[in-house]
Amino acid sequence: MILEELAFLAIAVVAVVTALLALLTRELVHTIIWIALFFVDLSALYFLLQAPFLGVLQLGVYAGAVTILLLFGVMVTRKRIFSREAATGIGPGPIVLAGLTLTFLALGSEELPQNGVVVHAYDPTLLSQTLFNADGPWLLLLGLVMLSALAGAIYLVREGRE
Amino acid sequence: MSAFSPAGLLALSGALLSIGLFGILTRRNFILLLISIEIAINAAVLNFVYFAAFAGATGGLTGQAIAVVVIGLAATEVAVGLAIVLALNRLRGSINVAEAATLKF
Amino acid sequence: MSGFDVAFGWAWLIPTLTAVAFVIVGVGGRRMARLEWGGWVAVAFSFAAMVVGILVAIGEMLAPGSYTDSSVTWISIPGSPGTFPNGVQLDIGILVDPISALMLLVVTVVGFLVLLYSIEYMHHDSGLARYYAELSLFLTAMTGLVLSDNLLEFFLFWELVGVCSYFLIGFYYEKPSAASAAKEAFLVTRVGDVLFLLGIFIYFAVYATSGSAPGWAAGGFKFTNGSAPFLAGAMGGNTPLLTVAGLMMLGGAAGKSAQFPLHVWLPDAMEGPTTVSALIHAATMVAAGVYLLAVVSLFLGFTPTDQLAIVAVGGFTTFFAATMAVVNPDIKRVIAYSTISQLGYMVFAVGAGFTMVGLYHLFTHAFFKALLFLAAGSVIHAVGTQDLFKMGGLRKTMPLTAAAFAIGALSLSGFPGSSGFFSKDDILGSVYATLGTHPQYWPFFLLALLTVFLTAYYIFRAWFLAFGGDGPRDATLPHAHEPGWTMRLPLVVLSALAIGAGALVFDPAFASLLPGIGVPPTFRGADLALSAVSVGLVACGFGLAYSFWGGGRVFELSESTWAARVRALLLHRYYFKAGYDWIGLRATYTVARAADFVERYVIDGTVRGFERLFAGLSDGLRRVQTGVVSDYAAYVVGGLVGFLLLLVFLAPWLLQTVGGG
Repeated sequence: MILEELAFLAIAVVAVVTALLALLTRELVHTIIWIALFFVDLSALYFLLQAPFLGVLQLGVYAGAVTILLLFGVMVTRKRIFSREAATGIGPGPIVLAGLTLTFLALGSEELPQNGVVVHAYDPTLLSQTLFNADGPWLLLLGLVMLSALAGAIYLVREGRE
Repeated sequence: MSAFSPAGLLALSGALLSIGLFGILTRRNFILLLISIEIAINAAVLNFVYFAAFAGATGGLTGQAIAVVVIGLAATEVAVGLAIVLALNRLRGSINVAEAATLKF
Repeated sequence: MSGFDVAFGWAWLIPTLTAVAFVIVGVGGRRMARLEWGGWVAVAFSFAAMVVGILVAIGEMLAPGSYTDSSVTWISIPGSPGTFPNGVQLDIGILVDPISALMLLVVTVVGFLVLLYSIEYMHHDSGLARYYAELSLFLTAMTGLVLSDNLLEFFLFWELVGVCSYFLIGFYYEKPSAASAAKEAFLVTRVGDVLFLLGIFIYFAVYATSGSAPGWAAGGFKFTNGSAPFLAGAMGGNTPLLTVAGLMMLGGAAGKSAQFPLHVWLPDAMEGPTTVSALIHAATMVAAGVYLLAVVSLFLGFTPTDQLAIVAVGGFTTFFAATMAVVNPDIKRVIAYSTISQLGYMVFAVGAGFTMVGLYHLFTHAFFKALLFLAAGSVIHAVGTQDLFKMGGLRKTMPLTAAAFAIGALSLSGFPGSSGFFSKDDILGSVYATLGTHPQYWPFFLLALLTVFLTAYYIFRAWFLAFGGDGPRDATLPHAHEPGWTMRLPLVVLSALAIGAGALVFDPAFASLLPGIGVPPTFRGADLALSAVSVGLVACGFGLAYSFWGGGRVFELSESTWAARVRALLLHRYYFKAGYDWIGLRATYTVARAADFVERYVIDGTVRGFERLFAGLSDGLRRVQTGVVSDYAAYVVGGLVGFLLLLVFLAPWLLQTVGGG
């Protein structure tokens, strides 16, 4: 038990630190690196939470595809790939808001049981059954949304559109 | 078999959400904005995954199923967001959201 | 069913015929270079209307007291139990009853004669199409009014009469005095019209909300004789509301019939053509007011308070107007004041409860007053001036006109045997008989009696000045001559009527047009003394007029005496017009200035203040909208945090406080 809690703590610290570094660093390419680490870290947490399918998905989709996409975006929009980004904020307001939100969530969490919850392993086939035999056609809807988003993305980047 | 207290996990996801919001509110680079959104979304997905485990076999795996859907949607959103970034870059030569301030009356 | 019953059914033709003439002349007259034919069309149609009118009157005489109403429902509001038990039904209809038959006789006969007279009198004027069209419309309005079967229809025609009088008084609209006289007539009578309308509202309200409304047709707001014809006081009671309603009716009648204090418009109405004056004063406009009082007293009834007010207004106006006629140098204005005075007699009689006697005087007055005006018109037509002091000796060159004017004067003053004698002494005798039970009528009775003397004086003063003496005092006047037949014929006919119309009442058939009038009380023994006094007063007036003005004399009044001051006061009409002008200019202007201030600074200021407030607010809000997506995201997050705050802190507190589940 104590091992798993230690692992969770480590993963949590890494997640917070990488997320913050990703946003605070001045080099956009560094940002991409930190966010990739962040995604990988989260995937580890999913494995820890006995959700290996999601962990793999996280690795494939986020750490793989999304990171590459973001890197691609940075490459296309920057003349020099290592360019500094000025962090022009709108004051301490957002930080205060974020702090407040955190406080509320912590307060709300007191309502939950404080003792640990046993997390069971599960059969990944169960997840596929849930996905495909659920009440709503989840995957169908997802596919439709993704298709239309793809069409929209192509439309946006089309050549000759000024 | 493993056990986690809900407080710790919720604190983590709350912290990640707050970091995401912080990024959304302070960063002016469109790509950083997208990354902030991804962080916030991951905070939410984390909650789904944890509470699916929390509910156990009685609750089915609906939470994980939703997480799958959300991850798919997030990937899509990044694709569309990058398309917007490219269009914006071509249109204005910059991806600073403060310069693209035409969204007003 | 006799032939004359059919005539009742044809009564609607009377206003229709003149209305057709109005359309033909009004639309077609302008197209023709020579407009003589327009006048003849109007005369022909009014002649047809007169024939129908006479037939209707004869039919009414053959079936005494008959009451024929044919109407269509205009508006019907069903009643509901409780506050609105009777409902309201408004009709548009034709009502032929004895008094409307009498009025039809007067209006159509005088109207026809005036139109015939106009052919030559107006020959040299321009705008004749307008003149004949308006005169026809005037007759339509007046005959429609007397045939109305309910108060609202009555009011519609009443307003039509008012607007026609406005047109005709302002016939010479290029003349500023005529234009302003027309406006004055319209506005002053409008004061009465508003009161009249208020009175109608009150009657409606009382009728619609009272549990029972005796004397009214079931569900209908109309004049009806019910089972017993002409029951006075059908509404009954002496409630304050009905008193107020009656006073409103008096106000309306005072405006139309030029009674004190709304009399000012009538002398100025002399700016219109003399023929119009004859029509207005004899048969149409001013008669409408008296007819209104008569109708209300017959079908609705006046409370005793109303009656005293009406007697007071009538009696006072009689004397008041006569005094102003005494000094006036204008032949038409003298007759105009006499009209106000004579209308005062009628109002006086109606107020004292002798409605039929008042209408009897209206009937006789119509003929001798039309005669006086047409004779005066003949004089004016011949010499081209209205100033009595420039005329003189006209009886030699215009013997027929002089005789006609003399007959009118005798009838007006109440010379024994003339029509005016019967009706005027009927009024005086009737009221005299009630003085025992109504001592409050005494002062007004005495004023009315004194007016008999004044009337004889001022009308014979006018006659002596115009026709007496050897020749015109102003040598520049053109040589006078008698007019053509179209002007002479109406004079002759009206002379005959001025003498004989009064005696008609002794014929039972004719008297049935004035139900309940009986034989004039003058010929009952008890009133012989009163009659003698009255005749004596006429003789005194005549004698005084002769001694001052007879044989071409001109009575000079030395300037410094008190009498000269009185004369100035009378010539300025007691400064009433000046006072009204002051009210109109000063008082109204001050109020208007105050209202303007309020409008400009208080109301507009408030509006502008709000405008500035919201413009400032929106300008402030505008700055919130930066166009930067991050800022919008900040607002969203702010709202979310606020919502969470509410959820975490406010909702539990609310649940505890309110104590909900």
